[in-house]
Amino acid sequence: MVPFGHVLILAGSLFLLGLFCAVTRRNLIMILLGVEIMLNATAIVFVGGSLLWQQMEGQAVTLFILAIAAAEVSVGLALIVSIYRRTGSVDPHQLVEYE
Amino acid sequence: MNWALFNTEIFYFCAAVVFLVLAMLRQTGHRTSYHTALFLAALGVVVCIGTLHLDGLLFLESYRIDLFSQVCKALLAMGLLLVVCLCSELEGVAAEWHNEFYMLLFTCTLAMMLLVSSVHMITIYVSLELSSYTLYVMVALRRDKVTGTKAALKYFLVGVVASAVMLFGLALLYAACGATYLTDLVRLLPPLLNRPLVMTALLLTLCGFFFKLAVFPFHFWAPDVYAGAPNQLAAYIATASKVAAIAILMRVTAVAGDATGFLVDSLVVVAIVSMTVGNLVALVQKDLKRLLAYSSIAHAGYVLIGILSLTPAGYSGALFYALALVVMKFTCFLVVIKVADDGRNIDLDQLAGLHRRAPLLAMALMLAVFGLAGIPPTVGFTAKLLVFNAAMQNGYLTLILIAMFNVVISLYYYLLIVKAAYLTEPAAEPAPMPVSGPVKGLVFALVGTMLVTGIAPHYLIELARRATRVLF
Repeated sequence: MVPFGHVLILAGSLFLLGLFCAVTRRNLIMILLGVEIMLNATAIVFVGGSLLWQQMEGQAVTLFILAIAAAEVSVGLALIVSIYRRTGSVDPHQLVEYE
Repeated sequence: MNWALFNTEIFYFCAAVVFLVLAMLRQTGHRTSYHTALFLAALGVVVCIGTLHLDGLLFLESYRIDLFSQVCKALLAMGLLLVVCLCSELEGVAAEWHNEFYMLLFTCTLAMMLLVSSVHMITIYVSLELSSYTLYVMVALRRDKVTGTKAALKYFLVGVVASAVMLFGLALLYAACGATYLTDLVRLLPPLLNRPLVMTALLLTLCGFFFKLAVFPFHFWAPDVYAGAPNQLAAYIATASKVAAIAILMRVTAVAGDATGFLVDSLVVVAIVSMTVGNLVALVQKDLKRLLAYSSIAHAGYVLIGILSLTPAGYSGALFYALALVVMKFTCFLVVIKVADDGRNIDLDQLAGLHRRAPLLAMALMLAVFGLAGIPPTVGFTAKLLVFNAAMQNGYLTLILIAMFNVVISLYYYLLIVKAAYLTEPAAEPAPMPVSGPVKGLVFALVGTMLVTGIAPHYLIELARRATRVLF
């Protein structure tokens, strides 16, 4: 069995990568992808924890996370398409300047 | 399983479905939608008050119905009713989207009601996300599409990052304790609190609720969203959404028990920074909705003072504060919506001559603003007194002093609002502003509530005390 510390290190670095992507990228779609990576890191911790404690609950939570991530992307992409149609840009910095 | 416990939620779900059907039929005029919404929201308040004393657990014990959740639900239902009352001229949203707007409004209220009853990681996460997503879409429904969508996008980006951070915190908590029920965490967590993993986990978890409550470091969406959203929705975010956030924050912090040095320390820092940032930035605001946004950031800081006491007195103070905020913020927004009759944003200067155009609205605005500043005998003073008193019993003297300084700073911009409404002379002779009968009644009811609960708050304090007792 993989030691739980390794799972935490993997998930932690994935989470930080996602956060970095979400904070620094200048494209709304890449920001959304960064958030997805953060959610996947979370799912890894839940599955790892589920293995550690020998319960099914962590895996159940993971299923919910997958479903909600899909809903989140649909809302986010709808907003991005709507703003792209009106301003012709998906760069958050330009949107701020647009004011 | 006892479905009777779930009555309130079923009612709001059905109300949302009614509007979904209306939206798909596309044949109702906006007056019909408004009257339907008003009727359903009023009925919802009756249902909530009728189910006030239910008690029990649902869905494998992941959903708790108790006095605390039911009182919060009643508050949320009243917040929704008040907001729907203001929708008679829903000018900020294009007429063809009114049914969708009401559907999302009822769904959002339903999600917040689910949130205040949640005692399991999944229920908390799902209901928090449902309430956030509906709000993002509603903000984007603004008639002026570019403003609305930009505000919605900002809200969305901050929101999803905050919720991902919160979820990571929950995952770490699960990894550390192996429990997903709050009731199990109460038992397992206190001995583990000094481990770095658990400390990080708790702090990350709180981030999601900080976002909802708009406190530092997740506060910067608030001014843009208040300014970019339709005015009625801004009122909803400022009132109902805050009640839900305060309630769930209480449920979660109650888990940590009372022997928690670092948690209290970090909450103290967050409270102080929110109060100070909110009040200082509010000083220079010209747009009235932005000013109210910064003032609500500051108020979130005051509420945190009650919550970080982690005592029954502090919690009941915070719950009372939530009620006071609903009444006071709503009165302010009522005046904003009536003055901005075509759904635009208004500046402070545009309040000029309000006392001659509509004396009743000016008087209500003055009382609400005095309440927000914490001047007796309004309800705002009682709320602040309760919260500060609870912190005082725990010996947080420095915190109280900083909060008092903040109250003095905030007095400046609150008085600016009163000055704009009463003393500034308008450039042209002001046209009198017609105030319809129902609105007059609403204003009298709000003013009455502010004064009566300010002078004789005993019943409500007792109710808040009984409601928060179930958390311990």
